[in-house]
Amino acid sequence: MRILSSILLCLTFAATTAKAQTTTHMIGVGKSKILETYLTPEHFSGTGLTYLYIKDTAPTDTLRRWTTTIEHEVDLSKTKDRSGNTSDLEATYNLYWARYYNLQPIDNLRLQFGAAANLRLGGIYNMTSSNNPGQAHASLSIMPSATAAYNFSIGSQHFSARYELNLPLVGVMFSPNYGQLYYEIFCQGNYDHNIVPTTFISAPTFRQMATIDWRFSQRMSLRVGYLGNYMQSKVNNLKSHIYAHRIMIGITRSL
Amino acid sequence: MKKYFILFFCLSLFIGCVDEEERPDTPEGNFEALWKIMDEHYCFFDYKNVDWNSVYNIYKVRARGDISREQLFEVLTDMLSELRDGHVNLYSAFDYGRYWRWHEDYPTNFSDTLQRRYLGTDYRIAAGLKYKILDDNIGYVYYESFSDAVGEGNLDEVIQHFMFCQGMIVDIRGNGGGTVTNVDKIAARFCNEKTLVGYSQHKTGKGHNDFSDLEPIYIEPSSNLRWQKPVVLLTNREVFSAANEFTQYMRCMPQVIQVGDQTGGGSGMPFTATLPNGWTVRFSACPNYDRDRNQTEFGIAPDYNVAITDADFLRGKDTIIEFARSLINPYNP
Repeated sequence: MRILSSILLCLTFAATTAKAQTTTHMIGVGKSKILETYLTPEHFSGTGLTYLYIKDTAPTDTLRRWTTTIEHEVDLSKTKDRSGNTSDLEATYNLYWARYYNLQPIDNLRLQFGAAANLRLGGIYNMTSSNNPGQAHASLSIMPSATAAYNFSIGSQHFSARYELNLPLVGVMFSPNYGQLYYEIFCQGNYDHNIVPTTFISAPTFRQMATIDWRFSQRMSLRVGYLGNYMQSKVNNLKSHIYAHRIMIGITRSL
Repeated sequence: MKKYFILFFCLSLFIGCVDEEERPDTPEGNFEALWKIMDEHYCFFDYKNVDWNSVYNIYKVRARGDISREQLFEVLTDMLSELRDGHVNLYSAFDYGRYWRWHEDYPTNFSDTLQRRYLGTDYRIAAGLKYKILDDNIGYVYYESFSDAVGEGNLDEVIQHFMFCQGMIVDIRGNGGGTVTNVDKIAARFCNEKTLVGYSQHKTGKGHNDFSDLEPIYIEPSSNLRWQKPVVLLTNREVFSAANEFTQYMRCMPQVIQVGDQTGGGSGMPFTATLPNGWTVRFSACPNYDRDRNQTEFGIAPDYNVAITDADFLRGKDTIIEFARSLINPYNP
């Protein structure tokens, strides 16, 4: 409990010092599931941590037509295969730059529709492989996105329920070819379909987040919820997925 | 806005899972998983004329449900031995499955007892390189493993030390390979112009013949000190993998002569994968070719095939080193 209190204090400090109109700092913990057939056909699962920062140019209590939301998400996980003999380390950074059209169909309900540009950088390192120990991930994609936020009260306490969904559409990603070594790409300079155009069929990556905010002061809220990031691709005859399920907690500050 | 809703709805319908079938962690499941990994990734089926489907039929009956892990390990190792490939290994906590007939069936043609006669005790060590100037003013350098790091500074020191020698003997006997970047680094000290040393290829799909085009491999001359005098490269059957690659590269340099026994081969760059029970398999995935587009998987024949004789051994002489010395300095007694 003392650790949780310290973390919340840090997140509060970070949210307070930010200059944007609505900022959120969250951390999360939960299960990670990994498949990367470039390394092995075996599945890996384990525990992961996530840090998420959200900067929203729109304050929650006013309504502009177009707003911008920027999210930085860092995922780290350590996973094992089912035998427990082999470990994978995974690290991913996701940047989402989203432009939303805002609607307020009824009181207390705010809807946003738009698209997010997602830059993803990361990789998986297999602790036991010597010849092909790692796989790098780099992609840029356009994701149709939407959010819904509903404000409500219980007694004298004010709450807000929020849901965000990012769906795949098109993009480009880096991938070695099916049996291509990184040595060939980076030491010999032999490129072979290493920059691959992707669609929602070949890279059905999607992400959702459901949270509840408890407004404990005029400008500050405690946010808890679930973040699911399902990063998937099937290019160059290689299959990959990283499923990150996280229970998130954080602080939101609105101006 | 209505169109956006339709797009959003349609996209959500199309989202599926990218997944791979998992075999059960049973003897049959591990056998199937290993067979499939090799079937989809191994690169020498056609070159070695291996019918992998008939291998499946032969060994599947041996991978029954009630066999012990040791018995399963033996079955799987036997199956992999059909590929006659030193890069194909099975790793478990209790054993290391291997095919070593590429050197076990041949004389070693290397003796550290004899080597000690030449190196003595006052030889120099520059990272992974042991080197000394022999009595007839010939530089001798021994490189035991391409896994041993060698820096540009180390190579400068060795070449500088041998500066007034009439030639250099590069002994890589017993070198089972290692890091390919060390191959490039050392070979670059022996070439004066961009030199074509071979071709590489990789698999582009699961079919046995799904390969990319051949891509040329060049060695660029080092910008540091380069060796211009005669070089004799000593090889034996234990020269494998990256060391085999080094031999292939060095044979493209005009001042280099290969002496000793044929190399052990191992021209496929390896990949690894894991089985349901946690065992790891290593296998050849990317074939390399020499500059004439020939496979070197089964080794590279020397220019002069020389073996250590019993008579020389008893006299404390390494026949191969002595032959190399006579090539560099024909007036040697």
